[in-house]
Amino acid sequence: MSVAADTEARTWLDRIRALPAGPSVAIMNVCGGHERSLSMLGLRAILPGHVRIIPGPGCPVCVCPEEDLADAITLAMTGDVTLVAFGDMLRVPINAPKGEIASLAAARAAGADVRPIASPQEAVAIARAAPARPVVFFVAGFETTTAPVAAMLAEGVPDNISLLLAARLTWPAVAMLLEAEDNALDALVAPGHVATVMGAEEWRFVAELHRLPVAVAGFSAESLLAAIYSVLRQKQEGMAFLDNCYPELVRPQGNPTARHLLDEVMEVTDAAWRGIGIIPRSGFALRGPWREYDARLRHPVTAPPRRRQGEMPPGCDCARVVLGKVQPDQCRLYGRACTPHRPVGPCMVSDEGACHIWWQAGVRPH
Amino acid sequence: MIEDTHVGLAHGNGGRLMRALIDEVFARHLADPALDTNADAVSIALPDGEIVVTTDGFTVQPLSFPGGDIGALAVHGTVNDLAVSGARPLYLTLAALIEEGLEISFLDRIVASLAAASRAAGVRVVAGDTKVVPRGQGGGLYLALTGIGVRPVDRRLGLGTIGTGDAVLVSGPVGDHGIAVMLAREAFGLSGDVESDAASVLPLTEAAGAVAGLRFMRDPTRGGLATVAHEIATGTGKIVELDEAAIPIRGTTRSVCDMLGYDPFYLACEGRVVAVVAPESAEAVLASWRALPQGGEAAIVGRIGGAADEGFARVVLRTRIGGARNLPELESDPLPRIC
Repeated sequence: MSVAADTEARTWLDRIRALPAGPSVAIMNVCGGHERSLSMLGLRAILPGHVRIIPGPGCPVCVCPEEDLADAITLAMTGDVTLVAFGDMLRVPINAPKGEIASLAAARAAGADVRPIASPQEAVAIARAAPARPVVFFVAGFETTTAPVAAMLAEGVPDNISLLLAARLTWPAVAMLLEAEDNALDALVAPGHVATVMGAEEWRFVAELHRLPVAVAGFSAESLLAAIYSVLRQKQEGMAFLDNCYPELVRPQGNPTARHLLDEVMEVTDAAWRGIGIIPRSGFALRGPWREYDARLRHPVTAPPRRRQGEMPPGCDCARVVLGKVQPDQCRLYGRACTPHRPVGPCMVSDEGACHIWWQAGVRPH
Repeated sequence: MIEDTHVGLAHGNGGRLMRALIDEVFARHLADPALDTNADAVSIALPDGEIVVTTDGFTVQPLSFPGGDIGALAVHGTVNDLAVSGARPLYLTLAALIEEGLEISFLDRIVASLAAASRAAGVRVVAGDTKVVPRGQGGGLYLALTGIGVRPVDRRLGLGTIGTGDAVLVSGPVGDHGIAVMLAREAFGLSGDVESDAASVLPLTEAAGAVAGLRFMRDPTRGGLATVAHEIATGTGKIVELDEAAIPIRGTTRSVCDMLGYDPFYLACEGRVVAVVAPESAEAVLASWRALPQGGEAAIVGRIGGAADEGFARVVLRTRIGGARNLPELESDPLPRIC
């Protein structure tokens, strides 16, 4: 946020503007933090007209399976456990019949012991404070969240804690999009936080398999603009390679300790994404001896079947927003039936959801 | 003579204990010939001009915070509402709603602070009321004040006078009060050197009022600068353009905002003025503010643009790197009870 950084950002912007205008270029970002920075900086208003920046699957709360959330609510309502979850998760609505508990926040208001937390350490502290009380940690997150949770288990946790896992990997969703026949993406800005943990190399497949430019970016204006410049320049020169525009924090192989712990505690499985379906090898499950911390085994509770189970709410375009098929403000509900005050879909709830970010950045329905 | 250390229900029952509390705490600090604690009403003298009245309630938590307390804040809040309307504040009335159990020595400090702030602003507290509510039914102390002031008849300020091209000025860094109260209240494990900016803005409004071309003033309290900008946009139907790089924000305030996800443009100030000024007068107002101790960091932060699309008030933020986005209307106050 220094003057020097602003100057550097303006320099990248000038370089982008100096590139010859070509046909429309669609660049996807897959990180809520990137989308927030881009939106709050008002970058879309000053990039050349042919450059389109599309928010993609960058919000783990938005794709958390509706069934998992329903199970968490059911479990909390039994009254037998303390349920802890990252704050964003509490207000995400499920497809419950009118008048029934439709979110963890509603369960909490109805007397269930549901507590928002900001870090795995808080979950452990809550479990330690009441050793006789079962604590279920509902984990929705990408690799950046899952790695600290794995580290938490590896370091040792109280016996009364267990995990309801809805954690996901980022790259398989991108791979699915790029493999689809209707793929219209021209380049990718790869997520800086995820790459800090998993390494820049994880994104090489975009360049080598799909022949598309890809650049890892951080969250400052200068890093984001450098990455956008990189992929535009690659595109213009007919090249496709992996560029790391966040070298201060991102190494080719990421954080070896974090990856080792993740690998020790978790295995990769096929997993459901809300409104999208199963994406192969895109989820995490507890491995071998760590399964004793699986909340599904300790507290086998399943929500009763509901209409539209697993789907997005009626009229809600969240799934297509997550996939970058429509912009947030192209959803019919955006800013009308669906606002942060009364959200319909998860993308309007989470701080990483594209709808919530666009709303906060002042985008209003046409 | 007050024998008790804490306020009890009997201090509000109209009897001897209430008399003692009023005399030894309120009347002692507020000492004013017009304040007749035995009268139901008093008469006041007003100079020529337009009479301006305002009323305001104060429920801030905690009652005392870095840079101020509820007593001084109540005076400043009420005086400032009169000052930004172009008036010279003259009189205040004070209603104190005290929760049973409040320490009398603490109440004494608050009333002393309130009295000092009134004297500094040149206003007199001429009528008052005290009530005691049972424990658990109040936040320690609530204050309600009414302010009376007089405005020169030729000083015409208002949204209706604003035109395209006018400059938008702010008298100092934004968001300090919101962050100071928040840091005093919340256990975020953060400590900062941010003090509330709570102060009387009368010197600022008087200085600006002396410049021809002043159109409109407002103190950006709840909802901050962005909310005042929205009031202007809504009231004029014009786009308000703000320049992010020009808006003064202290480093600590910005860091705390970054950490907690607050937007400083929406955080309350209690001692700042936002003014809209004719373009040719902007530098004169700026210079008059910068010459004052509380206006050293005053800045021109934006301008009034053209007409907005019908039915759509717009505040456009020009970002630090030249981008643009709408600054939306405040959804929900991230920091309730800051005044």
